[in-house]
Amino acid sequence: MEPVSSEFLRGTLKTIVLKLLSEQDKMYGYQITQAVKERTKGELTLTFGALYPVLHKLEQEGLLITESVEVEGRLRKYYSLTDSGNEVALQKISEFERFVDYMQQLFQTPPSIAYGH
Amino acid sequence: MEKLTPQQIDRLYTYLLQSGLTGELFTELLDHLVCEVEHYMWIGLPFEAAMHKTLMEANAESVQKLRKIYQRELTLADDQLAEASLDDILFQFRNKSYGAYAMRQSYNRTLVYALFGALGLGLMMIAFLHLISQKTWSYWSPWGMIWIAGVAAVSVAVVMYFLKQERWQTVPDGEDEL
Repeated sequence: MEPVSSEFLRGTLKTIVLKLLSEQDKMYGYQITQAVKERTKGELTLTFGALYPVLHKLEQEGLLITESVEVEGRLRKYYSLTDSGNEVALQKISEFERFVDYMQQLFQTPPSIAYGH
Repeated sequence: MEKLTPQQIDRLYTYLLQSGLTGELFTELLDHLVCEVEHYMWIGLPFEAAMHKTLMEANAESVQKLRKIYQRELTLADDQLAEASLDDILFQFRNKSYGAYAMRQSYNRTLVYALFGALGLGLMMIAFLHLISQKTWSYWSPWGMIWIAGVAAVSVAVVMYFLKQERWQTVPDGEDEL
């Protein structure tokens, strides 16, 4: 299970992060991994090694802004969407939903029709 | 929710330090790992087991991998790199707004103004020494001209320096978008 899902995860990480952030005001890294875990009931796990490069890449592209808050004596970095980040998030989400649709169509087509006899 | 003691956090801190992380990624990962250990303790594990489980996932190998990804993917894109100066590259993941970036950016200009000012002062000095030795003075003599040129050079340098300085201070905000 694990290696397969991580292969698919890689291409959708950006969309997942944007989607989660579009629903919440701001989130920090660990919170994002927990949100993914909870929503998929533990089936999907984001490792920090996969998550943080994506977060910082998005920040670099100007889609996210960060804010460091001191929590229990250590710094916690919160991420939130910028205006352009919001736009891109909406666009990515709808794009991905269409993609899932197409994939379902593709997989549900009975074999006899698929080969067009 | 269980909270880690400073000593326990310190162990994670040392661990990350030994894995060679630095900068912002360090504080962020520390927070991440502390949250994770606290989570495992909350679901009932003792500290040692929680720490062990966390560090199994965050082992040295995966931390190294993360560093490599950073070096590879988060450097400037090619077209940005073509335009970037040494300062841009140097300050890419660093804080640009506290002053060093602006100072480095304006260094060349400051140097020119300083040279101009020094040259002007030199000219004024020469004319002044001439006045002392000759005890006569006229603006319409070569020495008078040198004096005027010196005063002009110094004032241009000073005025330009202050005019430009105001503009430099706005630089960091704009550059942050990069």
